[in-house]
Amino acid sequence: MAHFIFFGALYIVIAVVTSTLSTAVLNSRRTLQSQMTDRIAWNSEFHELPALDRVCRHVLTGELRSRECRHAFDCRECQTHARLIAKHPPTPAGKLEEDILGMSFPLDRLYHRGHTWARLEDDDTVTVGLDDLGRRLLSAPDAVDLPQPGTRVHVNSTAFRVRKRGADVRLLSPVDGEVLETGGPDRAWYLRVRPESFNVKHLLGGSEIRPWLQCEMERLQLALAAEGAKPSLADGGVPVEDIAAGYPDADWDAVCGEMFL
Amino acid sequence: MDKGLIARGLKRCSTGRFLLWILPWAALLAFGLYSAGLCLVLGLNQTNMDNRFAFGLWIFLDLTIIALGAGAFFTGFLLYILKVRELHAIINSAVVIGLVCYSGAICVLLVDVGQPLRAWFTFWYPNVHSMLTEVTFCLSCYLIVLFIEYLPIVLKNRKLREVPSFLVFEFELHKLIYVLAGVGTFLSFFHQGSLGGLYGVLRGRPFAFREGLALWPSTFFLFILSAAAVGPSFVLFTTWLVEKMARKPLVRPAVLQLLGRISGSLLAVYVLAKTVDTLVWINRTSPERGFPAAQYYSWQPFGTWILFAEIVLFGLAPALILLAPKLRARTGWLVSAAAMACCGVALNRFVMTIQTLALPTLPFDKFLSYYPSWQETGTFLAVVAYGVLVYSFSFRYLQLFPEERELKLEASQREEPVLAGRY
Repeated sequence: MAHFIFFGALYIVIAVVTSTLSTAVLNSRRTLQSQMTDRIAWNSEFHELPALDRVCRHVLTGELRSRECRHAFDCRECQTHARLIAKHPPTPAGKLEEDILGMSFPLDRLYHRGHTWARLEDDDTVTVGLDDLGRRLLSAPDAVDLPQPGTRVHVNSTAFRVRKRGADVRLLSPVDGEVLETGGPDRAWYLRVRPESFNVKHLLGGSEIRPWLQCEMERLQLALAAEGAKPSLADGGVPVEDIAAGYPDADWDAVCGEMFL
Repeated sequence: MDKGLIARGLKRCSTGRFLLWILPWAALLAFGLYSAGLCLVLGLNQTNMDNRFAFGLWIFLDLTIIALGAGAFFTGFLLYILKVRELHAIINSAVVIGLVCYSGAICVLLVDVGQPLRAWFTFWYPNVHSMLTEVTFCLSCYLIVLFIEYLPIVLKNRKLREVPSFLVFEFELHKLIYVLAGVGTFLSFFHQGSLGGLYGVLRGRPFAFREGLALWPSTFFLFILSAAAVGPSFVLFTTWLVEKMARKPLVRPAVLQLLGRISGSLLAVYVLAKTVDTLVWINRTSPERGFPAAQYYSWQPFGTWILFAEIVLFGLAPALILLAPKLRARTGWLVSAAAMACCGVALNRFVMTIQTLALPTLPFDKFLSYYPSWQETGTFLAVVAYGVLVYSFSFRYLQLFPEERELKLEASQREEPVLAGRY
């Protein structure tokens, strides 16, 4: 009897462990076939972000007091966003608003919270680039790794990579689509994409840009302070062209890891 | 050089400094492997154990690290089964500690048992009446479970997660992790118990022999309880140690205090159970076998001080400290109490192993003393070095503390700003 109990328990344990592993393998195969990889990657990274970085865009604009984004910055799925936008449509910013905190944020494009932008061109393609703060953080990059034309990019998946002073930075795509052409740091844009659909509910525009950028400057200050730079109060100065050059001792991988989500 | 392997947003020391840190541990591991090799090739005559003193430093180490590694199963149980969400902040670290402890214990057991080519005999020809068979099966199975639990942590490495199949497998495996946590709890529960039961059934050793419930002597339950009580304390202590060495906060103080409270509560129950067990043993079990308990403590250096140290100094005292909210809130008290609790379980395992075998039980028997040989000590140190190395690599390249990034920013937020913009 003791034999049966002992071996019974043992074999049940082995069966449970084996079936758990098999289930995970089978589910993985199914998920890989369903092209969900980019979504899983971003969701996993999003949940590793500090709470400060996961805050809802409507908190930045002051519409909500506190709220953590539950859709990994994909507002296309968010009912709260749809409700709030219906209630208070974002007002277009004035012309002067293009210059925010000494940086240029043209209003002809929409901004991703990972410091990329998307602009719908006349030929219905979308150009994707790095915003002015992102450009100053990655000024004069050591290398740029752009996808081959024909590659498909998805919202919040890696669009292209930039290496700068030891930091390997992946930039998130603001749109879904197929890469048609690649640009680079010496051109005004990095990718030209044929969009699957230009659904841009998840991107920031108009009057949302300024409060978001103010928050980003605070995050930058914190990220730099965490790297040993003393936190400083805003004194009216503007970010320099090459921020990295001002902090030669800072771990730029950690700073960029923070700023580019 | 290895920046691409370090998690995004986290800062680790330079590769050179890291190599300097691991070098002495690697040397110690190499020395230990040489010692273990001697024992395996030349035999157990390389040790100071013999037929009479068959359990020594290795079994003491084995029992202690298995108890300390119980934080893995118990934290997993609390997080995934009882849904104590706060423990998410330390679960990865607890799993690494558990893996190190269990794999280290298996390695040292392989050297101790010897004849590694016949290691499979225990699985093929099991003696179902032996507690050791239960130990072997539970230990092997739980180690496999720990490896599987460690896998998602490894696959979340910054470079590995770029491989789509690794990323998706980690995601899918993590969804089923509660099943593994349940199995791990079951296995570790029985493993800890059977280690205790191993001593409790020694009828020829009245110092260790205990009465109990049905098949299981009281030591079966006491080992489970003490391991569950001390596991969280060891996780707490190691977390504090890593925070000190890394010079940065890794978890919120509230999480450490919660671990302290859990550990303190279980330790209090353990001390009560141990006290009752000791009183029953002193007044009934041992005298009925013709051994007044006082005589065990007449052999120096094992005086009654050891009983006092085990139950009061390293049992009751840390339990009371950990249960007092005001003391628990102070890091010095919290960590000291956790360290004391860990010392308590080590002392208990030392008493059960070394004192049990040192004491004479027959009229012609004499009190024995035992000192480990350098080969035994070397093998012991190899396990310590192995543990430090695995943890160091895991801390550097894997995300053991999910809140580290957030706490880094919070810490910089608390600093006083200076009146000078510098962008």
